Amino acid sequence: MAQLAVSVAGLSLRNPLLSASGTFGHGLEMRHVVAPSLVGALVSKTVTPRPRPGNAMPRIQETEAGLLNSIGLENRGMQSYLDTTLPEVAGADTVIITNIGGETEQEFAEIAAAFDGRPEIDAFELNLSCPNVDGGALPYSTDPKTAERVVASVRAVTRKPLFAKLSPNVTRIEDIAVACERGGADGLTAVNTVLGMSIDWRTGRPGLGTIVGGYSGTAIKPIALRCAWQCARAVSLPVLGCGGVRCAEDVLEFLAVGCSAVQVGTANFGEPGLLARMPAELDRLLDDAGFASVEDLIGSVRGGSRAEVPG
Amino acid sequence: MPAPPPDARSFRSELIDVRPTGDDGVVLRVRPTIELPALRAARFFMLRRDDELSPAIPRPFSVYRVREDGSIEFLIKVMGRGTRALAESVPGTTLVTVGPLGNGWPVLGGDAEPLVMIGGGIGSVPFYMAIEQALAGMEGAPPVAAPDITFVYGAAHAGLLYDIEVFERLGVRVIAATDDGSRGFHGNVVQALEAEWSNGRLPERVRVLTCGPDPMMEAVARVARDRDLPCWLSLETYMGCGVGICNGCAVRTAPGGPFGDWPIAKCCVDGPVFPAAALALD
Ligand SMILES: Cc1cc2nc3c(=O)[nH]c(=O)nc-3n(C[C@H](O)[C@H](O)[C@H](O)COP(=O)(O)OP(=O)(O)OC[C@H]3O[C@@H](n4cnc5c(N)ncnc54)[C@H](O)[C@@H]3O)c2cc1C
Ligand SMILES: Cc1cc2nc3c(=O)[nH]c(=O)nc-3n(C[C@H](O)[C@H](O)[C@H](O)COP(=O)(O)O)c2cc1C
Ligand code: FES
Repeated sequence: MAQLAVSVAGLSLRNPLLSASGTFGHGLEMRHVVAPSLVGALVSKTVTPRPRPGNAMPRIQETEAGLLNSIGLENRGMQSYLDTTLPEVAGADTVIITNIGGETEQEFAEIAAAFDGRPEIDAFELNLSCPNVDGGALPYSTDPKTAERVVASVRAVTRKPLFAKLSPNVTRIEDIAVACERGGADGLTAVNTVLGMSIDWRTGRPGLGTIVGGYSGTAIKPIALRCAWQCARAVSLPVLGCGGVRCAEDVLEFLAVGCSAVQVGTANFGEPGLLARMPAELDRLLDDAGFASVEDLIGSVRGGSRAEVPG
Repeated sequence: MPAPPPDARSFRSELIDVRPTGDDGVVLRVRPTIELPALRAARFFMLRRDDELSPAIPRPFSVYRVREDGSIEFLIKVMGRGTRALAESVPGTTLVTVGPLGNGWPVLGGDAEPLVMIGGGIGSVPFYMAIEQALAGMEGAPPVAAPDITFVYGAAHAGLLYDIEVFERLGVRVIAATDDGSRGFHGNVVQALEAEWSNGRLPERVRVLTCGPDPMMEAVARVARDRDLPCWLSLETYMGCGVGICNGCAVRTAPGGPFGDWPIAKCCVDGPVFPAAALALD
């Protein structure tokens, strides 16, 4: 029996397996399929101060090796989360991380302040892929200065652990990682979806109602792994790896490049019971490879020289 | 929070038979590895092959029939990658199976108006068990008499009236309608329905159930609204998860209807069957 428990930013997780935001509901919707007591933590879908009905259909389109989505952060807003979701989550036998978003720094601070007093919430994850309305609608995750400011504005109103969720759609993700650390984040999540699109050339019709959307699943694993590794090297914060994970082998790869725990997203759609099966698989793989604990594996990446010019 | 139904499970099933039907359809017969509860017609399962050739995201399919040995049949029209991977599978293939999901038709009892069921193409699937269950007495409700059930089955041409002879054996009136007149009524299902009414072969007051392409269902819902008839639609949206966790299956709702003022319902957990009055239809 390998030791699966990890400690991340002051949170004690029974194992390094988390759900990824937006791919496992808001709260305990999936408790009949995956008992909360089997996972390290559950991450909510992004909650915004005001309700958002989300984008036009179609909102999802599977392509050759991954999934495109443009849900548009559909959610019933902060008040509904406080009144309806949190009472359901109370007493859940796992760590609850609430993912929050906003269109301005004030909105991020507003929602974090409104949620700060709620004991059901163990930590926050900031969805920095939200468009910054004050900054020409560019996502916070694309500019170190705005990323730092938005993290700092949330830091000012809460002492709960704070994870900044980064986007892979940037030139140098390590610069954003460092900025978030400076802003006061306790950890990072790497990464959100990769921008993509699909089209039916015969009809000219794009697969998604919004034309461009977020690409996730198997295809993005190498991108996510690279981003997570770059973040883990650049900061002294724990990193939650995310992107394309669909089996225990993938989880261990993220740990090896320096992640402290791993989020599973799109793969939940492929098999909603996946997260319930993974802890035993992790245990078996670690045992077979002679690791006594997941902590022994974290950051074990070694060798190689970093090519400045790939290809 | 809309959650998946408490009886939904994520499990494996084994494909035991594949039978072609119509121009581009197959009937897959699968044996679940777990015991399933009684299945109300129009509930569905998410299915994909458990191998690397299959798309990673399962696709939703209505239950077609439950056989005496506990196996389940799905009737599938080949559309793209997901349905092709399933249709080309051989017996013995393992399928990732999630369900039963969704609400199913309302209880169809013999104590209300006669039933008119309108299926377009592959939209016929959820009506086989609807007819079977209504005739037998659905979940304790009084049985519906066979003459009180009319099934209008429409498609572009005869080759897309999948398994129509199997439906005909149920003993209720089946009216085929094809756009090209290759079988039954020459015209669409709405024209066939209007013809039935004008010939006096259908009572004025009926309950209407429909499943098929969106424009067809919208046309049927308009007819029902104009005649002030109760009407339910079983919607076939894109689905990412089928269990309420992705928000990919959004359906626009009518303001002030059963979903209150929130403009969106989830087809997978709030449906797939909706009363027409709950929906914002085009
Ligand atoms: C509750 C429910 C029950 C269903 N029951 C059945 C059933 O019993 N039998 C059956 O054959 N099918 C059924 N469907 C539809 C079936 O799920 C789709 O045909 C299937 O997902 C297509 O997958 P694909 O990978 O083969 O096609 P894709 O490669 O995804 O698409 C191929 C083509 O079909 C179109 N398409 C795909 N899905 C949809 C959709 N949902 N609505 C409109 N157009 C679409 C695409 O735009 C594209 O042009 C049901 C759907 C729902 C939601
Ligand atoms: C349907 C869908 C909805 C998502 N919604 C959110 C969201 O609300 N907030 C967020 O931070 N990330 C969201 N994500 C991104 C995931 O949390 C994750 O970062 C991304 O999908 C990559 O991981 P994966 O390949 O394991 O899915 C969503 C992803 C998908 C597929
Ligand atoms: S299909 Fe995922 S929420 Fe309905």
